[in-house]
Amino acid sequence: MTEMWMNMGPQHPMTHGLWNLRVKVDGEKITEAQPVIGYLHRGWEKMVEARDFQQIIPMADRLCYGSSMTWSHLYCRTIEELMDVEVPERAQWIRVIVCEMQRIASHLMWLAAVGTDLGSYTIFLYCMRERELFLDQLMNLTGARMTYNYPRIGGVRNDLPENFERDTLRVLNLFEKRLKTEYEALCDKTVSYRMRMENTGYLSKADAMNLGVTGPNMRGSGVDFDIRRDDPYEKYDEVDFEVCVEQEGDSYARYRVRMREMQESCNIIRQAFKKMRPGPVRVKAPRNAPKKTAFAHVEDPRGEGLMYVVGDGTNQPYRLKVRSPIFVSVSAAPVMLIGEKVADVPAIMGSIDMCLGETDR
Amino acid sequence: MAEEVKKRTTYRSRKELKPRLYIGDPMVAVFRTLVRTTINRPNTILYPWEKLIMPDCFRGRPGIRLEKCIECKKCVKICPNQCIQMVPIDHPTLGKVNRPQVYVARCMMCGYCAEVCPTNAMMVTPEFELAAYTRSDLMFDPFKLQYEHKPGYEVHSPMITPSELKAGKTESHDKGDMAIKDTVELDPKKCISCQRCAKTCPVGAITMADTGEVNPKTNKPVKRPVFDNNKCVSCEQCVEVCPKSCLSMKEAM
Ligand code: SF4
Ligand code: SF4
Ligand code: SF4
Repeated sequence: MTEMWMNMGPQHPMTHGLWNLRVKVDGEKITEAQPVIGYLHRGWEKMVEARDFQQIIPMADRLCYGSSMTWSHLYCRTIEELMDVEVPERAQWIRVIVCEMQRIASHLMWLAAVGTDLGSYTIFLYCMRERELFLDQLMNLTGARMTYNYPRIGGVRNDLPENFERDTLRVLNLFEKRLKTEYEALCDKTVSYRMRMENTGYLSKADAMNLGVTGPNMRGSGVDFDIRRDDPYEKYDEVDFEVCVEQEGDSYARYRVRMREMQESCNIIRQAFKKMRPGPVRVKAPRNAPKKTAFAHVEDPRGEGLMYVVGDGTNQPYRLKVRSPIFVSVSAAPVMLIGEKVADVPAIMGSIDMCLGETDR
Repeated sequence: MAEEVKKRTTYRSRKELKPRLYIGDPMVAVFRTLVRTTINRPNTILYPWEKLIMPDCFRGRPGIRLEKCIECKKCVKICPNQCIQMVPIDHPTLGKVNRPQVYVARCMMCGYCAEVCPTNAMMVTPEFELAAYTRSDLMFDPFKLQYEHKPGYEVHSPMITPSELKAGKTESHDKGDMAIKDTVELDPKKCISCQRCAKTCPVGAITMADTGEVNPKTNKPVKRPVFDNNKCVSCEQCVEVCPKSCLSMKEAM
């Protein structure tokens, strides 16, 4: 017997969340891989059918606590599409700002997780420290640390508090400085980090497109696509930003994409603060939805998040379908893992930013 | 396109880095942090003794001011987790009244109950340390739920109606403002003058007024409810209680 199946997870330091990766190993080499998900299934889609439209917003937060703002934002956008609600301009700018802050916080949490996967506790601590700055800002704005319940159908709950702009710009300045010095020194210039990330987990451009991988994982394989630019929502068509693409397709390229995206997010937040004007932040939304269907998609920190809703004239959705980015990305695991060594599995699977809350729903 | 994208990448091969960089730089970065946190305060706090300063809008467990509550049950209806119940209490000054009780173990701290409360009786408190030894300790009855009110604890969500936005207005309305309030509408043909709506209304916004007609069968004057929209808090209790479904909510749009 030369080959054997190994179970990694559901309770294993490699898995970020509850999922199982079955790998067939030949000595140290992986010859086959099967991701198994479903350990965290909560019946979210069924649960929301019994609640009215406003009550679902805090539930959408729970889809992924790492980026709860984007999920409740996506939900609100879908229902706005369904009900034909027009969002005031200031609310759109605020949504751009909070979603970008959430993107930075989410990417930092990803880097922290990858740091622990690679055995670098320093990276973990540094990332968590910076993430805290953004969480504090979001807490001042929304009143909660992780499940914000801040977007509303027709806008956002409240206007920016006093000094929010000043404090956020200070946080951004500090963060950008650290991104260029400390993070570069800890990751790009550390030989152990480079050796474990470079040339592992290769995902070719064709594979990434065929498997439907989206977000930073896809852009790390050289596909130049970003919903914020190619199908702009909110005010993204009025801000000037770069879509970060890397050609290599390995774990290190995916890391580079995320680091550059954080820098771009800082630029977007700065532009948004300059361009927004005072005004109302929320319009009153109707209670009942018309009998039709609608969908909306946004660029989640992990990829393309999409929701499809069927309205039946009542104040509850008839059906709500979520398309989550990692549900699709995890199917690329066999492609990335076959031929690699067992020791590289944590780094590779960490680099696609697993989040099981939105995958299993 | 592809060339352009290639130019934009910032990938630097490991071979370009000198060994001095990948041993020296990380150590310098870590050492700088060590010096900084030794001289200044560290980034952590000594939790049970020191506590974070919470912003005013922090959403901890719900709290209530019993004398402000008007029993409208709006909080019961909005709670996504169905953790609020109206329970009868015997209050020293208010007498026998119904007040909300919250099962905090199920509460997800969404703050909706405070957002919809028309009198700001329900509020969000900055209390987040809610550990308990038994589950029943987490059933907060109205007395346990009470919390001292400070300005800033109530949840505001200023709104504007779509028609006002189209007309170019920028003034937002706070909750309870007539411009954004849903009002009750009566279908007089179905009404049987049972007066149940007037008895249910928690704020006494409904009065039964004579229409001048007389019911030919019973020879009694026909009465119809009249709504005082300034008093109404849009709680929909009258809509629910009406046996003939002649009431409906008219949305301010
Ligand atoms: S905070 Fe939300 S979950 Fe908790 S009692 Fe209020 S409405 Fe219910
Ligand atoms: S919404 Fe406010 S006034 Fe109405 S029952 Fe609840 S606490 Fe009392
Ligand atoms: S009139 Fe109806 S909706 Fe208005 S406060 Fe009274 S019971 Fe509630």
